[in-house]
Formats: sequence, structure tokens, C-alpha cells
Amino acid sequence: MRLTVKQLAKAYGYLWALRHFDLTLSPGEFVALLGPNGAGKTTLLKLLAGLTPPTAGVIELDGRPLTGTAIAERGQIGLLAPAEHLYDQLTAVENLRFFTALYDKDSSASALDSALLQVGLSTRARDYVGNLSAGMKCRLSIAKWQLLDPGLLLLDEPYGVLDGSGIDLLENFLKAHCARGHIVIMASHHVARALKLCDRALILHQGRLQFDQRKQTPWPAFEHAFGDFLPRSGP
Amino acid sequence: MTLLRQAYLLLRKDLLLEWRRRDSLLTMFFFGTLLLFVFHFAFDMPPDKVVELAPALLWLAFLFTGTLGLAQLFQAERDNHCLDALLLSPLDRGALFLAKSAFNLILMLLVESVVIPLFWILFNLGSWNLLPQLFLVTLLGTLGFCVLGTITAAITLRARARELLLPLVLFPLMIPVILATIRCMEMVLRTGSFGDAIAWLRLLIGFDVIFLTIGVLIFDWVIES
Amino acid sequence: MERSTKTVKRRKGMLGVLALVAVVAGLCWSLLVAPPDAYQGEVQRIMYLHLPSILTAYLSYFLVFIGSGMYLWKRDNKDDLLAHAAAELGVLFTALTIIEGSIWGKPTWGVWWTWDARLTLTAILLLIYAGYLMLRSSIEDEQRAASAAAILGILGFLDIPLIHMSVYWWRTLHQPPSILRPDKAPWENVHPAMLTALTISFVGFLLLYFYLLSLRYRVGEMRQEIKALRLERGV
Repeated sequence: MRLTVKQLAKAYGYLWALRHFDLTLSPGEFVALLGPNGAGKTTLLKLLAGLTPPTAGVIELDGRPLTGTAIAERGQIGLLAPAEHLYDQLTAVENLRFFTALYDKDSSASALDSALLQVGLSTRARDYVGNLSAGMKCRLSIAKWQLLDPGLLLLDEPYGVLDGSGIDLLENFLKAHCARGHIVIMASHHVARALKLCDRALILHQGRLQFDQRKQTPWPAFEHAFGDFLPRSGP
Repeated sequence: MTLLRQAYLLLRKDLLLEWRRRDSLLTMFFFGTLLLFVFHFAFDMPPDKVVELAPALLWLAFLFTGTLGLAQLFQAERDNHCLDALLLSPLDRGALFLAKSAFNLILMLLVESVVIPLFWILFNLGSWNLLPQLFLVTLLGTLGFCVLGTITAAITLRARARELLLPLVLFPLMIPVILATIRCMEMVLRTGSFGDAIAWLRLLIGFDVIFLTIGVLIFDWVIES
Repeated sequence: MERSTKTVKRRKGMLGVLALVAVVAGLCWSLLVAPPDAYQGEVQRIMYLHLPSILTAYLSYFLVFIGSGMYLWKRDNKDDLLAHAAAELGVLFTALTIIEGSIWGKPTWGVWWTWDARLTLTAILLLIYAGYLMLRSSIEDEQRAASAAAILGILGFLDIPLIHMSVYWWRTLHQPPSILRPDKAPWENVHPAMLTALTISFVGFLLLYFYLLSLRYRVGEMRQEIKALRLERGV
């Protein structure tokens, strides 16, 4: 999976939510998407997922433009938004079965059970998702995308609701996902965690890409940009 | 084949959700019955007049209950942004159209199969033997309603006040179905057979086929809009 | 650039003048030259407005259909502007037709409104395209409003033959056909001066229509230019 974005832009009303955005990602890259509230992170993820029509610009997956992609290729992009994209009145295992069947993946009971076991939800497999806590829904989403195995996985602030072991689970899953040549783009405010995982960091500010570099240690350029665009709270 | 398999998956999911919540079906059923009572009070018809008015009253009831169903049609997909999850997936948009149309068709047919006999009982109608023919007409009309209704429900999905906008957009487009079913049922009730009503039946079938085909073809654009 | 906009402006002005001349000529011909109708007398002269306005409305709806189809296919805003402009004018001309028809109907039939097949059809057209305009205005995102409206523009146009058929059958199966029977060709037993007046009137309406369309289209263009300018200044 190779992702190319050229001059992507999105306007809401009289405001640019994102503008002049260029990006090229190669297989296996893990990108941290950073920026203050309203910087355009969620807009960018929605555009990449094809859920919002861009005002201008092109997104290409493996050289083919995203709009007008054949149906089978659409399943290549995943969006993990914690506590969303699940049916409340279906049980955890029914949700997984529905989505795996829709993606034409292995929807056998054993596959679903082992996925639920991995995220620590086997005891709640037959509960309605509406009755699960936010953290458990997030774990279920992790299990879902583990089964669906998308070539490009987008994450929108996944840390908020997870407990310690949940975070370990997520990070191990993401590392393994990248190791298999898939691309991960994670938007987060947990800068330290995101930096530890990523190969490359992007900083968005007021709809513009302000910083884009591969990770180095030490990383003075990042510290500098970070100070400019993400002012730390308090003294 | 993928189209039908995906449509079946979605339909099964929707039926399961409806079985657990029973929101749409119960509301539609009670509203349909309620309308029969309202009609009775409003018109206070002598028995010979009822036969003349029956098709129109029944179809009014179906139109209103059907619109209730359509307004709820994408509710399951609105909760938790599940529509986004479906749009992300390799789902053929035509399958979504087929599944949603079939789902609303099933709900409406269930309601109709109760409301029509109830109408016969409440208004003391005698011609029970004509019910099969009337059901056939109703089936064709309801299919047309659900097919076009699903498309309009989808294009009004992101509009403000979409529940109000939906009938405004849908009803003028539904005129052929409304006229055809009512005239057809009237003729069946009056003469006991289809006779001249065959032309109306053809129109209904034509309407169903045209908009079913268009729906499968353009739903990609409809739902992404 | 400057010269070309000037030429466009001049051409548009000429179109307006032509339209004015043709409409005035049509009025002169239909009020002064053409003889009064053998049965209806002077009242029948309203036909010289009535027929051209409904034909223009149909042309307008055809343009909505074409613009909608082209927009969905090419995603060019210009096609959407055309469809939108044509829909507004279509509603205008349909409303005019109904008003003229009522004025004509009162002395001839004795009522302002009758459920004649053509009257009913015209009223339904008005409802469909008024719904189109309402749908447009109630969707926030412009691209989404454009696509939703385009779908309705296509559905509405394809529905017209079916509505026409059903409404016509409904009337003919129920009451004797009205005087506006479509199976009688209009040029049979018609005074040649009447035909000339009708033709001139029709040409006048067409010119007027295209003049108004070009103005309305320009309004849409300017709206987009304003939006683009405000976007430029905004960020």
C-alpha cells in the first residue's frame, strides 16, 4: 500500500479546514498526526477515508485515485474512531460477524472468539455493544480492525478511553500492523506516546502542514516546531 | 452475486435490529390502525359509499405509515456514525439500496396485511374473496413506494428538517403509484376482476422496474452525496 | 481576459434587446394581427402566452436533467449552476403557466381551477421542482446539496412521462375529455395569422428564457467567485 496526496484542500463555508496538503507514504510507515484542536486533523482523516468529498486535490492509493475506486478496493482503508462505527443493538460478536462477512474475511466462530479473547472481551461477547463501556467499545474496535486488516489504518484520538492494558494492546496491534507493510496514521494529543511509536511526525496548524519529518533521536527540529505550534499548558 | 450476498447481510442485520427494538414496526402498525379510526370519524360513511372510498382511504393510510417507516429507515445507520462504517467497507452501494428497500417493503407489507383485513372488519365490507387481488395491487404499489422512497430518504439524509422534507419531495414523484393503485383497487372492487385495470397494473410494474433499476445504478452517487 | 468578459457582456445585452423586441412583436401580433377565436372570442388570445410559457418550462426541466446528469458524471460546478438556474426558471415559468391558465379558465370553463389532466400535470411539475429547490437550500455542504439535487433532477425528469400517462388515463377514464385534447394537432383549422403570432411569441419566450438563464447563471458564478475571494482572504 502506497499513499499519495496532492494539493488536498477542504473548505467549510468560508473557511479552509485544510489546504495545500501534500503527502507521500510508503508501505509500513507509522505517522503521528499532531496539532492543536481545530488544526484539521479529523478533516484530514475523513478526507483520506473518502467520507468527505475534497474541495480540491487528489488522493491516490497505489497510484489509483480514491474517487471512483472499484468496490473491492474500498475496504483497503480503515478508520478506528473509538466508540463509533458499531451497532448498539448487536452483540459484540454479532458486530464482528457482520463486518467480517461484509469484508469477505474469515467470519468463523473460532476466528471471532480468538479476536475477542485477545482484546479481553471474551466474557462480554454476547452483550449488546450499547451496554459496553467506552473503553470496551474501543477494544472491540481494535478487534474489528485486526480482523478486517486494512492496508491503510487511520486512528482518531484512540487513547482517550483506554486503560493501561488497553493502551498496550492498541500499541502492540499497531506495531504488528506496520510490520506487515501496512500504513498507520494516528491523530492524537498524547504527543509522548505518539512520538514513541511513530516513524514520522506531521504537525498541522490552522489547516496547513507545518512540519513533516522522519523521526530522529535527538530531534531538535521537532522540539522547535512543537514549541511553535503546540504551546504547553501552564508554567 | 456479491450484490445479493451483501444485500442479504444488510437486510438480515436490519431485521435483527428491528426485532430487538421494534421501533418502526410498532409505530407504523399503531399509526395505520389509528388512521382507520380517524377516517371513520371523519367520513361517517354509509356501507355502499365505503366500497367506493376504501381504496383511497387504505392508500392514504399506507402512504402515511410508509413515510414514517422511511423517516426511520436510516436511523440505525445514523447512530454511532454506522453509515460511515458501511461507506468505508467494500459494500456495493446498490446492495445498500436493495437491502433498505426490501426492509421497508417487509415492514409495510406486515402492516398492510393487518390493516387491510382490519379495514374490512371495521367498515363491515363483504367482498372478502377479492382480498388476494387487492393484495397483489398493494404489493406492486408498495414496492414502487419503497423503491423511490429509499432513494428520497437517502438524498434527504443530510438535510435540515429531513423528516418534513421527505414527504414534500417524495409525494409528487409518487403520483403515478398513488393513482394506479387506487384506480386499480377501485375497479377490482367494483367489477370483481382486473378487466380494464390491467393497463394500470402495467404502469405500476413499469414504475417498479424503472426505479428499481435506476436505484441500483445511481445509489453510489445518492449515498455519497 | 478583460476583453472576453466585455464581449460576453455585449452579447448578453444583445440577447436581452432581441428578447425584448421579439416579445413585443409577439404581443403586437397576438393582440392586433391575429383574429379572435371563433368560439372563445378575445379570451383565447391568452394562449399566445400560455403555450410558449409551458413549453419553455419543459425545456427548463430538460436542462435541469442534462445539468444534473453532467454534474454527477463530471463533477463540474458549472453543470450544477446550470441545473440550479434552470430549475428556478422552470418553477417561475410553470407558475406563470398556471396563473395564465386560471385567468383563461375562469371565462371559458367558469372556474379558476379544474382537475383537467394538463392542469394537474403542470401543478405536479411545480411541486416536484419546488421540492428540488427546497432540498437544495436545506443541505449545508454545497457539494452534497449539489449531488442530492442532481439525483432529484434526474428522478423528477424520468418520472414526468409516468406522471403524464397516469394523470391522463385518470381523467379520460373518469370524465369526458376536456377541450385540450392532445390527439388533435394544433395546426388543423387554425388561421395562419394565429400560427404566426404563436411562433413569434414562442421565439420571444425562448430568447427571454435564455437571457434570464444567462443572468441567473452569472449570479451563481458570482456567488462562487465571492466565496473563492473570501476563502483567499480568510486564512
